[in-house]
Amino acid sequence: MNRNRIATIGAIALLAFSAARSPGQSMDDLKLQVHGYATQGFIYTTNNNWNTADTTDGSPAWTEAVVNVTVQPQPKLRIGVQTRYFLLGNYGNQITLDWAQGDYKVNEHLGFRVGKVKTPIGLLNETQDIDPVQLWVLLPQSIYAIANRNSILSHYGGVIYGSVSLGSSWGELEYRAYGGQRVLSSDDAVFQTVRDKGISLPNGATGPMYGGTLRWQTPLRGLMAGASEDSEHTSGAAVLGALNGGLQATHFYQPYLYAIYESKKWMAGGEYTRQALQKTTAFVGGPTIFIPKDQRAWYAMASYKLSKKIIGGMNFSYSLDRQLPVSNARYQKDWALSARYDVDSYFYLKFEQHFIDGSEFGYSTSDNPGGLKPNTRMTLLKIGVSF
Amino acid sequence: MKRRLLALLFGVLLLAIEMHAQAQIVVIANPNVAVASITKAEMHDIFTGASTSLKDNLQVIPVLLKQGPVQEEFLNLYIGKSDNGFRAGWRGILFSGQGMMPKTLDSEAAVVEYVSHTPGAIGYIGRSTPHEGVISPTVR
Repeated sequence: MNRNRIATIGAIALLAFSAARSPGQSMDDLKLQVHGYATQGFIYTTNNNWNTADTTDGSPAWTEAVVNVTVQPQPKLRIGVQTRYFLLGNYGNQITLDWAQGDYKVNEHLGFRVGKVKTPIGLLNETQDIDPVQLWVLLPQSIYAIANRNSILSHYGGVIYGSVSLGSSWGELEYRAYGGQRVLSSDDAVFQTVRDKGISLPNGATGPMYGGTLRWQTPLRGLMAGASEDSEHTSGAAVLGALNGGLQATHFYQPYLYAIYESKKWMAGGEYTRQALQKTTAFVGGPTIFIPKDQRAWYAMASYKLSKKIIGGMNFSYSLDRQLPVSNARYQKDWALSARYDVDSYFYLKFEQHFIDGSEFGYSTSDNPGGLKPNTRMTLLKIGVSF
Repeated sequence: MKRRLLALLFGVLLLAIEMHAQAQIVVIANPNVAVASITKAEMHDIFTGASTSLKDNLQVIPVLLKQGPVQEEFLNLYIGKSDNGFRAGWRGILFSGQGMMPKTLDSEAAVVEYVSHTPGAIGYIGRSTPHEGVISPTVR
């Protein structure tokens, strides 16, 4: 039985247990809530096909639907499950578990989440999948690459969280510490470079992970600065033709530094991270393949609310893998212009235009047999609804 | 001298606008909340989901109005976001597993009714709306 199923069954059992333990409580007493959202995107690129979709011809292969069920049987206890249908090119096309957790908040200073929980890394990891919240069609891909998003959204284990007031002159400090097991699914885009070498990972990769986040809500309302450190050590079985072997990633530590300022109409923010590791794939009686990586990535973004229904914004996203030979394949420089129109509280439309230099942008040689082109223009449309 | 006078007049005008705006909205809470006053920062944190309790670890439950001029005034005074931005913030909390959507009611009378019967509930209504069975803490 896989972990998703165990976590789902566990959360449903907790939901049922909560209901059974409170026979006198109505659904209203349990504060049962059911919410969700769905989006449909359209992708067109001038040059390279992107994330296994035939985007140079224009592709609608980008669909997501999310359902969230939460109850609150006690004032300090919440139990919830969130599932997702995800399709992007050939990635996904299945229903997966976003999270399934019990959350007990003792007070403002201390709370616990246990189960499959969102991983509090960086500025946007916990919310990077929640399209109705974002202006952007695509978050800056140098750090929040969409095709390997589902694997790093959450982990099996727990989170301890809370906040401490520093006084009216110093603001507030929020902390989150987490630990558990990372599970990277076999079709995750993080393995695309390995797959391009003809290697498959039938069970994906798993391993221990832990880390923490500190966020300082400064005395200037709307200004937040933060730092995270994530540590992971994953491995998994690998297959190359008739050869069996294994993939092992080095134990890596990944820091994140970020800040964001939000006022009534303006938002400006940015983030930096560095990921340095080496993936080694070894086969019995076969080759040992090393794939080193030392990627520095950052982005800056800003938006302005033009009216009650229209927001416009732009961002610049950059990454450079210093372990790759000097070529267009070692970097991405992506300028994006975005607009969002809220039809009402439920429906919205998004448009985004990208100007991408470099080919470290989720392109695969498998999808582009003629070779990767150095520049691409990408046009994105998305419609979404939430309830 | 002229500039000072103009600045003074401008300040008085802003103050008058602020007082006028505050005069149109009243914060209400269930009597068990038992606080005489709440700060603007506390209002912001409670109604954006950043906090679930007031001082002395008193847990509170925010209640929202669905729409209308009182809702808009509330957002202007305490949240500093448009209605879409405000609800997007709550969706972020909900879909990331960090909280639940607050109760949202269609009318001010329904808010008064709910707050008066729900321990810990806190909401807002127009000043002219009858509000028996609740307390009205001042906002500092």
